Amino acid sequence: MAGEPDLELIDITKRFAGFTAVRRVSLVVDRGQFVCLLGPSGCGKTTTLRMIAGLETAEEGEIRIAGVRVNDTPPWQRDIAMMFQDFALFPHMTVARQVGFGLEMLRRPAAEIRRRVTDSLAAFDIGALADRKPDTLSGGQKQRVALARALITEPRILLLDEPIGSLDYSLREAVMLELRDVQRRLGISFIWVTHDQNEAFSLGDRVVVMNHARIEQVGAPEDIAERPRTRFVASFVQGTNVFDGTVESVDGDHIRVRTPSGSFLVPRPDERSPSAGEPTSFSVRAALLTMRPGSEHVNQVRAVCHAIEYLGVIRRYDFRLADGRSLKLEQFTGRDRRIGEGEPVTLGWRIEDGWLHAPPVEPA
Amino acid sequence: MSTRRERSPTSYALAGPAGLWMLVALVVPTLFIVWVSLWVARGFTLASPLTLANYGKFFARPAYVHVLGDTVQQALVMMVITGVVGYSIAYFLVVHVRRPGLQLALFLGLVVPFWTSALIRTIAWIPFLGVNGVINQALLAIGAVDRPVEAFLFSRAGITLAQVSFYTLLATGPVVYTLRNIPRSLPEAAQCLRATPLHVFWLITFPLTLPGVVIGQILVFLNVMADFATAQAIGGHKYAFLGNLVILLYESGQFSFAAVVSVLLMTTMLLGVALLLKVVDIRRFGEP
Repeated sequence: MAGEPDLELIDITKRFAGFTAVRRVSLVVDRGQFVCLLGPSGCGKTTTLRMIAGLETAEEGEIRIAGVRVNDTPPWQRDIAMMFQDFALFPHMTVARQVGFGLEMLRRPAAEIRRRVTDSLAAFDIGALADRKPDTLSGGQKQRVALARALITEPRILLLDEPIGSLDYSLREAVMLELRDVQRRLGISFIWVTHDQNEAFSLGDRVVVMNHARIEQVGAPEDIAERPRTRFVASFVQGTNVFDGTVESVDGDHIRVRTPSGSFLVPRPDERSPSAGEPTSFSVRAALLTMRPGSEHVNQVRAVCHAIEYLGVIRRYDFRLADGRSLKLEQFTGRDRRIGEGEPVTLGWRIEDGWLHAPPVEPA
Repeated sequence: MSTRRERSPTSYALAGPAGLWMLVALVVPTLFIVWVSLWVARGFTLASPLTLANYGKFFARPAYVHVLGDTVQQALVMMVITGVVGYSIAYFLVVHVRRPGLQLALFLGLVVPFWTSALIRTIAWIPFLGVNGVINQALLAIGAVDRPVEAFLFSRAGITLAQVSFYTLLATGPVVYTLRNIPRSLPEAAQCLRATPLHVFWLITFPLTLPGVVIGQILVFLNVMADFATAQAIGGHKYAFLGNLVILLYESGQFSFAAVVSVLLMTTMLLGVALLLKVVDIRRFGEP
């Protein structure tokens, strides 16, 4: 069984009264992977997580944990643990009792529970809190207690529902790195639900982008950011410009797309060739646009600088095109061509900087 | 956590009218009853010497002590029954009826009977429990009994039955409130930590609703201790609780003796509440 993936979702579907929350979602999580489910609120990512936990039942499809079908296994018999956004600490229990709760339920001997709780509290640096109740803990402390409590049963998979969403911004970075370390050290799979792409991109071995109850794209963070499969993924990823238009012509390796802002060349996708007249969309990363186009920057467009955001390492410019649409450009602050708001410029990008999207996921 | 504010002169002024009312309507009459219970004279005279003799007389009469015991016993029985039934109703309403509309409808269904006066609700039990009452007719119709059962009306069981219908919701309400305050993630987190539904209930849900349970128990305890109408209407004159004894003594003009029973009733109620409050910190009621 060692080779079995930790988790397999096969065409799982969940319907609530009046709407479908998750529609035919399939996903395989290999051993010890860090997978992030990313999407806007209401996209079905949390429902998917809850079905893996057994807190919701899948009406269709199959859920396998370590190769075994668990559709009819209740949560307390699944080899999982879950961290909730509000941490869900039991208000009437001390930290030590709380952390040992899972072992208590597994009817481990009292001596073993005491020993493992002590070890766990030490490992998460919360030994001093052993006798405290949750209402006396800070957000960061609660988060550690919740993590220690979830991991004490040594589950095969840890499910995390926006686990740092309720922490102060200043804490999040450190907590993210720590959780990443824990996952690497234990070698168990983490399935992390978030609506924050920075979290997803900096943590996930793989990112699963969901929208409208479906998976739009599964891939490494750089796949998602640089090669968004659909228009939705491109528009959801920060720092990407999306152009809508129609295919004007297909010549060799290039496709000419007519948009309200002009006509642009994009590379032809490997796997398919769109035909002329077909509605389509493509994206260009904000970091790939230049304010000093040369001969290789075949695609050019006139724009006026609308706003400038200083983000430390980079500066983000918001340009307006003649047709009123906005175009974002990001540059390292050291290499700025200094322009002011209201200044007109010509922006350009190379053909290979454009990326044509697949047609939208059919809503059926 | 409760926030304590500085007490300003304004806050005292604001508490003034209610405080004055409580003083006039509650504190002074109560003290007056205590004073009367210490009188020796049968009639109404302020010149009577004060003595504990009346209390001695009460405890010297086994029949009276028996009534005290019966009253406390009835309150305890009622607390157990309404505790279990009331909790079950609350749990059903909050946990199993997820649709808010149905929840409201069921709750209204439970509350509507209480829109009529307590007197009518009490009297309504008589045709229900009587020898020719609804229950007996039903039992005869299905052939469960040959002759009407007389034990329903004018019996302790009849009183208990009626009181359960009157007071169960007192035990339900506070539990509904505390149950609703438990975030759904808590029982779910417990389940993900290998807790079976039974463990979830006893280790998570029940302890967190304990303040609501205790408040409900206090309400039931106080109401049953003070109830005399149910015993009178449904128990006939065969059963008496402390409240009935007060009326009996008062109507026969034994004012200081009636006051003694009243003071004992109040003392028992206070003791009961004090004991119940030992179980939970009531100031934390309503916290998740």
